[in-house]
This record gives sequence, structure tokens and C-alpha cells, in this order.
Amino acid sequence: MGRPAHPHAMAPPKPGRTRTAPPQMPSTWWSAPRIRNYLLFDATGIVYYLISFLAIGMVQALGRGPGAWDAVMTRLQHPAYIAFHVLCLVSVVFVAIRFFSLFPKAQPKMIGPLKPPPASLIHVALYVVWFGITAVMTAVLAGVIF
Amino acid sequence: MRAFLLKIEPLIWLMFGQGILIGTMLLTGWILVVGLLIPLGIVDAGALSYDRAYSLATASLFGFVPIGKLVLAALLVLPLWKGAHHVRSLHVDFGGAERDGVVGMLLYGIALVGSVVGVVAVVGL
Amino acid sequence: MAEKTIVITRFDPDKDQAPRKQEYKVPCEPDWKVLDAVNFIKDELDGSVSHRWSCRMAVCGSCGMMVNGQPKLTCKTSINDYGDRIDIEPLANFPVVRDLVVELDGFMHKFESVKPWIVRAKEKAADKAALHATKGTYTQSAEQLATFKQFSMCINCMLCYSACPVVANEPEFLGPAAIALGHRYNMDSRDEGKAERNAIFRGEGTVFSCSYANECSEVCPKNVDPAAAVNQAKFEAVIDWAKNLVLPRGGA
Repeated sequence: MGRPAHPHAMAPPKPGRTRTAPPQMPSTWWSAPRIRNYLLFDATGIVYYLISFLAIGMVQALGRGPGAWDAVMTRLQHPAYIAFHVLCLVSVVFVAIRFFSLFPKAQPKMIGPLKPPPASLIHVALYVVWFGITAVMTAVLAGVIF
Repeated sequence: MRAFLLKIEPLIWLMFGQGILIGTMLLTGWILVVGLLIPLGIVDAGALSYDRAYSLATASLFGFVPIGKLVLAALLVLPLWKGAHHVRSLHVDFGGAERDGVVGMLLYGIALVGSVVGVVAVVGL
Repeated sequence: MAEKTIVITRFDPDKDQAPRKQEYKVPCEPDWKVLDAVNFIKDELDGSVSHRWSCRMAVCGSCGMMVNGQPKLTCKTSINDYGDRIDIEPLANFPVVRDLVVELDGFMHKFESVKPWIVRAKEKAADKAALHATKGTYTQSAEQLATFKQFSMCINCMLCYSACPVVANEPEFLGPAAIALGHRYNMDSRDEGKAERNAIFRGEGTVFSCSYANECSEVCPKNVDPAAAVNQAKFEAVIDWAKNLVLPRGGA
């Protein structure tokens, strides 16, 4: 019959005259692919926390000098770190694709000078900017430019 | 606690929005090169030797805009707020609404501490 | 004509401790909607089944039920979309009054709280001047209408509340339809109640609880796209908050 929702979900301000059965979540809640995607999207928050902590640690190592920095860069070669970064890359791409499709329609439809461009244009522009920034950062970090 | 969170929610949502938008865009290149291409040896490790990494981090544009530190700070700080907001949402998804006030404060607190530590580390380079 | 097994969730508070399932064998015509099958059960097989329905054409919003775990308008859902066994339950996330009938007062309370009407002070001299020359009405351009028209299409069918994970877990959350309709009035050029509504939007039922699962928009039978409304409302609430920091509302 599905799992219970919060016992007070959609509760009336005053109890009705008869006893009601408690609210239930949809019976297909956990199995629906769209719901799984949504929960995965939320779960990427953990990945974002972790990559941030790692990056902070790396900048701290950079501040301590060549010995600390080289040690960190060597540690990144460990298979566990490689696997972690593969997970990070998948997460980041997953977040980008889902977010870019949801972002355009969330712009309030104002009129006049503040009017946002059409949703489809925003959608494309997000990808262009994303690829652009990624290309520049990759080139800079990999030593291709500067 | 929930009352306090309600008051600052617009600010948190803004930080979260930037975390997703700018954070995601900045993280992709970083993860690719720093996390994968260099450790796997596809790109020469010299690209991020200490000297080069340090000069990139402290690079400046037009002589006075600390572009390296700005990008680094954004990359360190913004994803924390995306992380905090979504982990809080995940907690509610799994029925944690009763403790949402406490959990929210904890998660945003971690993001705040991380942000401060990150900015201090970047500024101190 | 094909015989299908329709499983209805039954609950009579006077007789049942908890909801239970009851099966009915229904001879379904190929052009039937799910509502036709439920009406057949009530008319021919078991008059004690209770359910809500009215217009039969997807404009009244009464016949919302869970069909095989998905919230649907049963008058709009073809029986051919399903196999031999159809499981019909009352709308998820609502307390159940009886059988397929859910308690709607919770929604009505949230709905009223967003002031879903034009809030406007008494007519001002400028309003009189703006009245249409011959019709005596306020004018609104097509462009102004386009900013909110989509959100005004809501028929209050509550499918979005059944689909929303936050509604299921956070009792105070205003929910998709209430926020979409509040936002509809905020965007209406004739309305002056933005400040009052934004105060509700940032109160206990906060719009920021929405985690953009987008399920509400996926199930909406009228393409209202409540997820767009809720997330636009977040932007508007932030602007309202920022304005308030700089220019606090006196005495508010």
C-alpha cells in the first residue's frame, strides 16, 4: 500500500468529524526512475561537500610549500582518489544536465527592459558557457596556455 | 532554529544557486585535469608542479585583479553551499522534517566553516 | 470489451481499522476512462464505494486518484493504458476520509493563506484615467497576461500535492498549487498584494522548501507547470528580501 507520508501531511486546520486514515506516499515512490534521478541529484550534494574539502586541503598544502604540494599530487594517483574523481565528474555532469534543463523556466517572466531571453536560448547559452569555462580551465591547468 | 533558518533562507538559496551554477562550471575542468588527467599521466605532471601551481594561484589580471585567487576561492566555497542545501533536502526526503532545523544549522554551519577555512587558505597564499 | 480486475482501496472509519484492498471484475469497454470503470463498480457492483467526480472532462479537478501508483485525473485516463489489473488508491499525501475520498481542508487552508485574489486598494484617480474609454474596464496587455496566464489554468485537482516529495515530508509546506496561484496573482499587473504574499511565501510554509523535484509539473493535467511558478516565486522572494534590507517597509 506504499509507505506512510508524514503523519501530519496535508492535515486539516481542525480535525474533521470522522476518523481519517493517515496519508500515504505513492506506492511506486522508490521504484519510479524520475524519483531515483531526483534523489541522486540531491545525493550529489555529498560529492560536492567532499570535493570541496579535498580542494581546500590541496590549497592548504600549496600554501605550505613544494614538499606538501608534491605529496598531495602523488596521493591523487592512488586508485581510490581516481575512482572518487570519476564519481565527481559523473556527478558534476549529471547536475549540469539536470540543472540546465530546469533553470530557464525558473526565470520570472518580466516585461520591459528586464525581460529574460526565451527559455531555449538560456538553455543553449548555459551549455556554451559551461563548455567554454571548462575548456579554458582545462587548457590553463594542463599547461596548454599560460 | 527553524525560525532563524527561515530568516536567512533567501541568502542561503542564493549561495546554493551559485554553488550549482558557477561551482559546477568551475569544478568540471578542475576534476578533469587535477583529479584525472594528471594523476593518470595523460597530461604531464609538470603542468601543475609546485612552481606553476603557485604562480597560477597567485596570478593577476591587468596587474591588480587577483584572478587566480578569485577563481580558487569560488571553486572552494561555492560547492559547499550546494552540498549543504542538497544534503539537507535529502534528509527531508527520507523523513527528517522534525529535525530539519538542527540538521540545517549543522550543514550550513559546516559550509560556513569550510568557506572561511577555504578563503583563509587562498588569501594566505 | 475486456474484463479487467479493478482493485479499489476501501476505508470506512466506522468499520475498518485501516484501509484495505477490494477487487472487482469489471467488463471494460475499449473507449472507457478509468472513471467509467469506477462508476460501473458503484452503479452495478458495490454501491458503498465512495469517490468524487463531476465534469467528466478534466476541468473541475474532482476525480484525482492514484492509478497504479501515479496521480491521475481518472476522467482523462484511458483504460487502455493499463493491463488486466488496475490498482486505484486515494490521492497520496492526503488523509483519507473514506474509500477514494481525501480530506481537502488542509489544502483549502494553505490556499486561502496566499490570498488568491486581486489585492487592490480602492480606486484611485489614476485608475479612473486608465479605464478603457468605452468598456469601463482595466486594461491589461497580452504581454502582461502572458506573465501569469499559464498559472491561472490550475483546476485545484491536487495531483501535484500527491507527487511532491516535500508535501509528503514537510507538513507546513504550502505546496505547488497554492504557491503557483499566489505567484499568479503576484505577477498580475492589476494586483498590489505582492508584499503580503511574499511574507506568506517566506513564512512557515516557505517556498524555499521546494527542492525542485519537478514532479508536480510532470503530473499536472493542465500544463500549469507549478514547478516553474514555485521557482520563479523563490526569485521574487529573494528580490523582495533584498529590497527590504535596503528599504525596510515602515511599520510592516
